[in-house]
Amino acid sequence: MNERKSFFAPVKAWKYLLRRPVTILKKDIFENPREGSDMYRGFHQNDWDKCVGCGTCESICPTNAISMVEIASLEIEDGKKNERPGFDYGRCSFCALCVDICVSDSLKMSKEYLHLSKDAESFYFIPDINGIHNNKAKQGYVRDETSELLDLVRVKMEHEDVSRKNSFIEIVKGYSMEMALAESARCVECGICTDTCPAHMNIPEYIRSIYENDLKGAITHLYKTNPLSNVCGRICTHLCEGACSLAIRGEAISIRWLKRYIVDNTPMEDYEEAVLSFVTEPVNGKVGIVGSGPSGLSAAYYLRTLGYEVDVYEQRAIPGGVISYGGPEYRLPEASVQKDISMIEKTGVNFITNTKVGTDITLAQLEEKYDAVFLGIGFSLSRKLNIPGNDHGDVEYAIPFLAQTRDYLRDVSKMPDIHEKVVVIGGGNVAFDVARTLLRLQIEKYGKADVKMASLEHRDILPADLEELEEGEEEGIIGSFGYGPEEIVIKNNKIVGLKVNKVLSIFDEDNNFNPSYDKSDSHVIEATQVYISTGQMPEYDMITDEIKEKMEIVRGKIITAENGQIVNVPWLFAGGDIVRGPDIINGVANGHDSAVGIDKYLQSKKK
Amino acid sequence: MKEVKLFLGPQHPGMHGNYSVHMYVDGDIIKKARPTPGFLHRGFEKLMERRLWMGNLALIPRICVVEPDINEMVYAQGIETLANVEVPEKAHWIRMLILEMARLAIHIMGLGGIGGPTGMYTITYWAIAQRDLILDLFEEITGARVYHMYIVPGGVRKQLPVGILDKVSKLLDELDVKIPEYKELALKHPIIHKRIKDNIMLPADVVWELGVTGIGMRSAIGKEYDLRKVQPYARYDQVEFDVPIANYSDGLTRMNTKYKEIFQSIRILRQVIEKMPKEGEVRTRVSTGSALRWTVPAGMVYSAIESSRGEYGYFIVSDGKEMPYRIAVRGASFPQGLLGIEKYLVGHRIDDASLWMDTMGVCSPEIDR
Amino acid sequence: MMNSMNNIIKQIDDVLTITNSEIITNRQFAIDINSGDVHQSLAYLKSIGFTQLSILTCIDLIANNEFQLIYILNNWELGLFVIVRTIIPRDNPAFVTIINIFPGAKYYEREVHEFFGVTFEGNDSYSKPLLLEIWDDIPPLRKDFDPQVYSDSKFPKRDLDKIYRSKIGGVD
Repeated sequence: MNERKSFFAPVKAWKYLLRRPVTILKKDIFENPREGSDMYRGFHQNDWDKCVGCGTCESICPTNAISMVEIASLEIEDGKKNERPGFDYGRCSFCALCVDICVSDSLKMSKEYLHLSKDAESFYFIPDINGIHNNKAKQGYVRDETSELLDLVRVKMEHEDVSRKNSFIEIVKGYSMEMALAESARCVECGICTDTCPAHMNIPEYIRSIYENDLKGAITHLYKTNPLSNVCGRICTHLCEGACSLAIRGEAISIRWLKRYIVDNTPMEDYEEAVLSFVTEPVNGKVGIVGSGPSGLSAAYYLRTLGYEVDVYEQRAIPGGVISYGGPEYRLPEASVQKDISMIEKTGVNFITNTKVGTDITLAQLEEKYDAVFLGIGFSLSRKLNIPGNDHGDVEYAIPFLAQTRDYLRDVSKMPDIHEKVVVIGGGNVAFDVARTLLRLQIEKYGKADVKMASLEHRDILPADLEELEEGEEEGIIGSFGYGPEEIVIKNNKIVGLKVNKVLSIFDEDNNFNPSYDKSDSHVIEATQVYISTGQMPEYDMITDEIKEKMEIVRGKIITAENGQIVNVPWLFAGGDIVRGPDIINGVANGHDSAVGIDKYLQSKKK
Repeated sequence: MKEVKLFLGPQHPGMHGNYSVHMYVDGDIIKKARPTPGFLHRGFEKLMERRLWMGNLALIPRICVVEPDINEMVYAQGIETLANVEVPEKAHWIRMLILEMARLAIHIMGLGGIGGPTGMYTITYWAIAQRDLILDLFEEITGARVYHMYIVPGGVRKQLPVGILDKVSKLLDELDVKIPEYKELALKHPIIHKRIKDNIMLPADVVWELGVTGIGMRSAIGKEYDLRKVQPYARYDQVEFDVPIANYSDGLTRMNTKYKEIFQSIRILRQVIEKMPKEGEVRTRVSTGSALRWTVPAGMVYSAIESSRGEYGYFIVSDGKEMPYRIAVRGASFPQGLLGIEKYLVGHRIDDASLWMDTMGVCSPEIDR
Repeated sequence: MMNSMNNIIKQIDDVLTITNSEIITNRQFAIDINSGDVHQSLAYLKSIGFTQLSILTCIDLIANNEFQLIYILNNWELGLFVIVRTIIPRDNPAFVTIINIFPGAKYYEREVHEFFGVTFEGNDSYSKPLLLEIWDDIPPLRKDFDPQVYSDSKFPKRDLDKIYRSKIGGVD
């Protein structure tokens, strides 16, 4: 079976003697190099305009060839870092995993493959769109659907169906462990969310803890920057998700729902242990806090971790401010609010409720009693709406209505007096809170609902979240979006409706608030009760004129130093709505900053 | 008797790769041989434990330069078994295309390899040039010439480029003409006959003693022990091919078996081109999430395929985390490359040592890892 | 295939003392045996057609302070792999060679010794270095060996500052 040997057989090879060789001439290697294939994995090209500096390429690189380099000439924007990947081509294995996982689709490979140098250190490059030799080499390997290494679709959150409107049941069901693990596995740990989050929460870290099924560790990460994780896990404005690098090509990580998963599923002992692990015995001094809303609670918790004795003054019966009296039960169940507050109480914070600063105790007394005072009084008043008929007795305002509803659900107050046909003015999240709360109360009281809404903003530019609009309409709210109120129509001393006009523009040419209407397109929304939810404002009565003179208040907001200190009143700090406008996570961040600021101030005073 | 110690390798024209044999010779007869591996030891098994499941893709092909795809295949296959995922039909066929093209490349290079130790460099140059023409096609399919990183857990990395199958067909037609010339040049060559016929024997009992697989085994025991037949993977059960066998394993028989296998690979490739589904997905996800957090369910599996040198396998252990817990590589030439040299190189002449290494298919990088 | 495999497992179970068996694929199964029964088991498996030792290796189960020795045998006739697993203590790991059953195990045992530190009584060359040269640390495939720490202690770090001064987009 082996071939027999043959003396003449090899001679046949001589026929190649005069044929063209298959080899390439040496000079062609440099002067006329062979072009790589269309998929060639050569040197990188990186579109700096698209690149967000997330560093995912650095994370996946199996050879540690990539390192993120800060580029001083680049600006830092929301959702973008001023870093770009640098490649050590002495290490790079040209595997193109960085291209396959690039979140922004900026990184590609070119057909270029020649780089010669005697200097071993010259193999380090930070390629831009023109590649490493600035020669606009042809594009080679690119990512496609098949080679994709990211998971761009989020794990769907389940919601209660529309029958939810019959009660105040929480709408969002929350992730199961399986879902949370799958969702957490999508994260690429770039940390761009941390930069965007007002409280700079350690988002990648706690998502990793979920992924590793270490919920206690996750709680520890949460409480480093946010002691209101139950609340924020439900109703945070989630700016982080807007910045998430996965959102560039796909859907952002459900950061908010993952946070909620942590607080809902950590065993109570672990939870407590993690939270209290930061807290020390008081040694440093006494701080008074006015207002127990998000910023006050946050300041209180972090002051406790810094060793201060903390008293919190609250005018209402239970602490929490907007989280106890504002957010509707179907978004923010009582139990989760109370979990956050009770955790803070367990750290030794002393709550003094039913005590209004300004009437029951003065600010001056507080100055006397404490080493420093933090003001976190929030926007506690509803803004009035100046239209004819607004002084009628059946005109209600958002804040007292929502507060009474929470008290009603706590069984400490009677049901707000609601009519069968109501209209809500406003297009923000609070307006939807009011409308959807009304709807639920109506169903409870009358067995049917009739809630209408009117807002200046057209539905495409509503300030409220899209899910509020979608869910609200699903529940049966009828909106006249893009119609501004002209007057409350009153007949026989009774409200019969709200007259609205089509809005042409909301702001005038100088960008000032000055709506203009098309009066030919108007109608009357039938209702016997009008709810106004067009904004909130602060109540500064407690601040004496003497102090007020030293402060700067611009458009209702107090100007403070970065750490919350009021420059000319050094013992007084402020945060939350009255500094940053209404937003819970900003309040939490302010509270934390102020706690650190107070500590710094008091320590410096000691010296 | 006076013994002289001679080093064959690690740098020696007759040695394939950086490998060394310390030979104690008396005259030109080898009296004792000590295989000395390790020059290419890069700690792959440790490195793999410290890389992501996906990141290892860049690492594993580098275990074997000339036939990197087998590493990708066993790795992918092992993970698919552990993760219990079904690879798309088309991906199976693409994998066979890649594996058989790789087999062609290494077999042709192996035929050419005989040129070094026998001084007949013409065939070496032919083989190197021919392999590069195959690598051109690899470059088009995968984006790289040598380390393809194309067979990935769950399927293959990309769809085939348009028109590539025609180019493969054309290559096969060329090979049909070209390869018989290798026979004329080398396998019938009187000098090569003189050097390897009835020399460098690998009898059946030695096969079992050492655990030799592949061509060495099949040339000696006359049985079709080829994992493509015995444990068909991918879609090898849906193509027709023969496994060349023999009952007399001298160097020449092994070369002839290799020569015949080339034509079987061509035959398989033609069927692959014909039977491959025209449409369809080529990759499924083995895990959820981003590749940074892909996990493989806990468990262990031994994933083996038929390489050009025999049974090549990864023993993969996962503890359910993002990185492998342990991967052990069974280099196909480990048995003959170590114990084989120690026991059976002895008695041969010095100038046979290189031929011994060559025809036994000793591949140092897979021994060292 | 599955049937014949089940039959084989049953056949093995009748003769040998297996503590556990696991079907991995339809052509592969694993059996756990006590370390004292390894030789008898391997000899028996060899006699029923598992004539080839594909690989002998080891897993460092550091959490349990154990090593797991793995013997993978191939039955070419049936196209079956069996993974024979046994546990030995991690402290002073010692085992007995199998070269009288599978002579090919000689170098595998040497490798396992080099990378895990398991000794093999009866294999007179198990303790010779194989792939590593002048190794001066714990066996490197043990889980408590950190190659990064080792290499940091052995080799100078590259001066990254110098490298970072390199070009951006190919322009200095």
